[in-house]
Amino acid sequence: MAAVIKSKEGKMEINMQSCNTFAEMKDQLNAQLKSVGDFWLGGTVSIDTGYQVLSNKQLEEIQSILSRHGLNLQSNNSIVSKELTDSDNEISPFEQLPFYEDTMLICKSLRSGQRIVAEGNVVILGDVNPGAEIIAGGNIIIMGSLRGMVHAGAYGDDTALVSAYRLNPTQLRIGSHITRSPDGELIMIECPELARIRGGKVCIEKLKI
Amino acid sequence: MKSRVLVVTSGKGGVGKTTTTANLGTALAMMGKKVVLLDTDIGLRNLDVVMGLENRIVFDIVDVVNAKCKLKQALIRDKRFDGLCLLPAAQTKDKSAVTPHQMKNLTNELRSDYDYILVDCPAGIEQGFRNAIAGADNAIVVATPEVSSVRDADRIVGLLEAAGLNKSRLIINRLRSKMVKRGDMMNIEDIIDILSIDLLGVVPEDEVIVISTNRGEPAVMDNTSRAGAAYRRIARRITGEDVPMFTLDDTNNFLDRFKKLLKLAK
Ligand SMILES: Nc1ncnc2c1ncn2[C@@H]1O[C@H](COP(=O)(O)OP(=O)(O)OP(=O)(O)O)[C@@H](O)[C@H]1O
Ligand SMILES: [Mg+2]
Repeated sequence: MAAVIKSKEGKMEINMQSCNTFAEMKDQLNAQLKSVGDFWLGGTVSIDTGYQVLSNKQLEEIQSILSRHGLNLQSNNSIVSKELTDSDNEISPFEQLPFYEDTMLICKSLRSGQRIVAEGNVVILGDVNPGAEIIAGGNIIIMGSLRGMVHAGAYGDDTALVSAYRLNPTQLRIGSHITRSPDGELIMIECPELARIRGGKVCIEKLKI
Repeated sequence: MKSRVLVVTSGKGGVGKTTTTANLGTALAMMGKKVVLLDTDIGLRNLDVVMGLENRIVFDIVDVVNAKCKLKQALIRDKRFDGLCLLPAAQTKDKSAVTPHQMKNLTNELRSDYDYILVDCPAGIEQGFRNAIAGADNAIVVATPEVSSVRDADRIVGLLEAAGLNKSRLIINRLRSKMVKRGDMMNIEDIIDILSIDLLGVVPEDEVIVISTNRGEPAVMDNTSRAGAAYRRIARRITGEDVPMFTLDDTNNFLDRFKKLLKLAK
């Protein structure tokens, strides 16, 4: 579906809510910018990607496309979805997921010795047992118990997120950060949890959706 | 009845595969079934010792697959039970002396004469394991209540699933109920939670196993052995009988049960 370009208070706004993948977004952006020629040269642009939140790397890619057409991205925060700009703190963390094109869906448990490597997101409908590993470029969501090792944002995305119905990993990595479960007594928390980087550290919090 | 090939496997060594194969085979034979035990632990054979049949070995499994002898010549009949036979492993060869394809042919040949073909698998995940599971319909996974054993069992269950064996069942061996009660040993729920396969039975730690192993008389023949009783119950479950599980039965006194009923204890 087409991206929509319109002028708003003298600025250009591109609505890309209808794009389903990041590749589509880039294609649309290129096509649309070509069609407007140099009318807006030197101007600033804001982009509305709806629910899809872009990673820093993806933002850079958007910026470079815009630069090629002599345009500037207004600012990073113009690329967040409408829902997020409502300055509501209680928004679901899933709405802030960095956006990855591909998601690998696995409908079984991962057992010891099994390993999944994926460019984008990984969703597991099962458990991830001790001795199993997931390496994902994007986010990792586990609809069961996480007891093994996971690495989200494995290609350098510190905004990636890990969530599990029960989060007890042997080791958890996000981007360049590594944490492990505390030695000794296991504290069992009987609710779904979420791990992400906050203030340069891996933080575990209750999952509120 | 349709014959069943069951492989007894574990990943980790020394957790009780051979003990389990010998006891379940004997128990099934005691129930009147026709049973053959297959030792695939080539190079480290000891199912024959546990069965007390070592001195009768003439040919072994490698001789059979290499057509050095007929299958019937290599099978050792157990003098104590009609319908119980052992095909011993070779002691002087290694695991690559047999291929998975040959194993499959061998188990298929045995199907026509036996109700149960129990395959004693070597430890590890290499060729010996692949041989042992090649002809199997189902697997019995043996684990002890230790983190390392459960970890290896989990790996094995994954490999079995990848090989198309999806209905593995679990035997927890050497459970010490006192230690579990003290919280010093993994409990049954934790193990099943991780492995998520059906529990076939729990065998307690029992000195009689050591004594009976040395004598070459499986513990199921000893009516005083608790492990033997557990194996007899497991054998009945294998034949499809619905035998209830009691696991920590010896320490589970009336008051405990009453508390459990009232959900006071966990
Ligand atoms: N329930 C039990 N109680 C006490 N001792 C046991 C029990 N089960 C097994 N054992 C002992 O543990 C030891 C190892 O058992 P076994 O040989 O059956 O293991 P295995 O898995 O076949 O080993 P391997 O991997 O070397 O083939 C033996 O000495 C046996 O007597
Ligand atoms: Mg053995």
